[in-house]
Amino acid sequence: MAANAADVTSRARSSEVLLKVEDVELRFGGVRALRGVSFEVRRGEIFSIIGPNGAGKSSMLNCINGFYHPTSGTITYKGQPRKAMRPYVTASQGVARTFQNIALFKGMSTLDNIMTGRHLKTKATLLENAFWFGRAKREEMEHRKFCEEIIDFLNLQHVRKTAVGTLPYGLQKRVELGRALAAEPELLLLDEPMAGMNLEEKQDMARFILDVNDEFGMTICLIEHDMGVVMDLSDSIVVLDHGEMIGQGTPEEVSNDPKVIEAYLGVQEEGEA
Amino acid sequence: MIYRESGQFKKTYEADQAILPLRTDQIFMVGVLLVAFLVIPMVASNYVMNALLLPFLIYALAAIGLNLLVGYCGQISLGTGGFMAVGAFAAWNLATRTELPMPVIFLLAGLITAGTGVLFGLPALRIKGFYLAVTTLAAQFFLIWLLQRPWFNNYSPTGVISAPTVDMFGWTVDSVTDRYYLALIILVIMALIAKNIVRSSTGRKWMAIRDMDVAAEIIGIRPMATKLKAFAVSSFFIGIAGVLWGFLYLGQLEAEAFNIYVSFDVLFMIIIGGLGSILGSIIGAAFVVLVPIFLNVVPSAIGLPLGTAMISYVEIFIFGVLIIFFLIVEPHGIARLWSIVKQKLRLWPFPY
Repeated sequence: MAANAADVTSRARSSEVLLKVEDVELRFGGVRALRGVSFEVRRGEIFSIIGPNGAGKSSMLNCINGFYHPTSGTITYKGQPRKAMRPYVTASQGVARTFQNIALFKGMSTLDNIMTGRHLKTKATLLENAFWFGRAKREEMEHRKFCEEIIDFLNLQHVRKTAVGTLPYGLQKRVELGRALAAEPELLLLDEPMAGMNLEEKQDMARFILDVNDEFGMTICLIEHDMGVVMDLSDSIVVLDHGEMIGQGTPEEVSNDPKVIEAYLGVQEEGEA
Repeated sequence: MIYRESGQFKKTYEADQAILPLRTDQIFMVGVLLVAFLVIPMVASNYVMNALLLPFLIYALAAIGLNLLVGYCGQISLGTGGFMAVGAFAAWNLATRTELPMPVIFLLAGLITAGTGVLFGLPALRIKGFYLAVTTLAAQFFLIWLLQRPWFNNYSPTGVISAPTVDMFGWTVDSVTDRYYLALIILVIMALIAKNIVRSSTGRKWMAIRDMDVAAEIIGIRPMATKLKAFAVSSFFIGIAGVLWGFLYLGQLEAEAFNIYVSFDVLFMIIIGGLGSILGSIIGAAFVVLVPIFLNVVPSAIGLPLGTAMISYVEIFIFGVLIIFFLIVEPHGIARLWSIVKQKLRLWPFPY
């Protein structure tokens, strides 16, 4: 598979800031979902947003993604300040994401779902598609090859042609990751990739996330509640509570921050690992 | 073991992505086409061809068109009759007012209908489901009203105008067999085009919008452009079906012939045949055309002749019940039942 940023591996991160969020505020009427949130995501890192329920984590992701537009503050992506833009424009700039509640195309097969993820890479026009000539056929084969590699990578071979609506939950999560990967994004947003999974599935998913980061050099920004996973995977973490940032830093810094412990992690008994 | 796929290995993605990847299906399809092109014209009487096969072929084309929109892109339309009328009247006016050759007229009529479809598809950008259905219902009534204005039938005193002779590349389509062949050829070509579209990136975009428009937007699909494209392509198909309906089947044009019942019939076809299936559109058309004939023949054959009025009531009952049945039990229609049968036949008679 094309490692589009082979020089950037997870162990040797560049200092380039891919995404910069500055003083973002998001209001729905009287509700202030986000207040003065600022952080930086550097290219090639695994960045986590954590916090209790209703802290504004998904809202933050939706802002990055173009679903919501911040009431004030700026989001700078690849050095360009972003204006209010539609999600499909964000996608064309190399941002892909998965959802907390799986948002797959249930009537379509696994393969078709992942192929749809290649959408931005297809150029064939309607007429070419209608008569199956020129780019239509050529592109279809190229993308099929690429998607087969993703299917191999995620171990989805056996459900290639199964409608995703009938797949078990864990597999659906994996297909959704596959669909996001198919777009070859620079920034991958994962909204609770491990919610509702059992231990084994979590381990698989954690391995996939690390591999994606390592092999393809994708920058990952994820929301997750499983602290073990977050602390192990992340390079840096930001903690939100009631829309406000209460902590930021490396996993060690965050897990020792008294404010974070009070709001979210809870006090650990002596001797408990 | 009628339906075997074991031992058929695909060595290229191309072979795997073919329209009919299985040998059995390929043979079956060739058989169907042979029967349609060679056997039926020889054995079918003029009556059968005119009253049964022609409407079936044309309805099948309209059903494919509507299925592209409803079954694949998930945008409900009740304006099929109106769009067929647009196609028919566009072709008639082009034929009477210009000297263009017939194939060009067919194409232009399709394109004009596509444009009309896009225009009435614009509300789909804001509204979904039931509300969109009502909007397209308005399109149906508006278009029929518009086409009854005298300019469209060239100030004909009766409002009924007769269709011109269809001349395709020097082939004068005159006898009923000719008309059957023309409708069949157009249906085969357009069904192939439809199949190509739905298996390509365009079709995947439509299905993505249908299944989850939010997620579709997130991977970079522009909802507006995609929906309007579906309206355009669907209306193109329906427009061509309208031309065939007026020129080949009715032989004369009248806007009222494309009323709301035509729209409903085509919608019934795709619900019964199978939403999101090209084959289903064709099966559904066959079903809806055949049921009235069936009701005519069977009860009198078993000694229970039904009156004409009764037949039309029973017909409505049957469609009603079937639509409820399919919507609740099998939204993918007869086409899905057919694929289940194929699934079973793969292993029959050994279930393991």
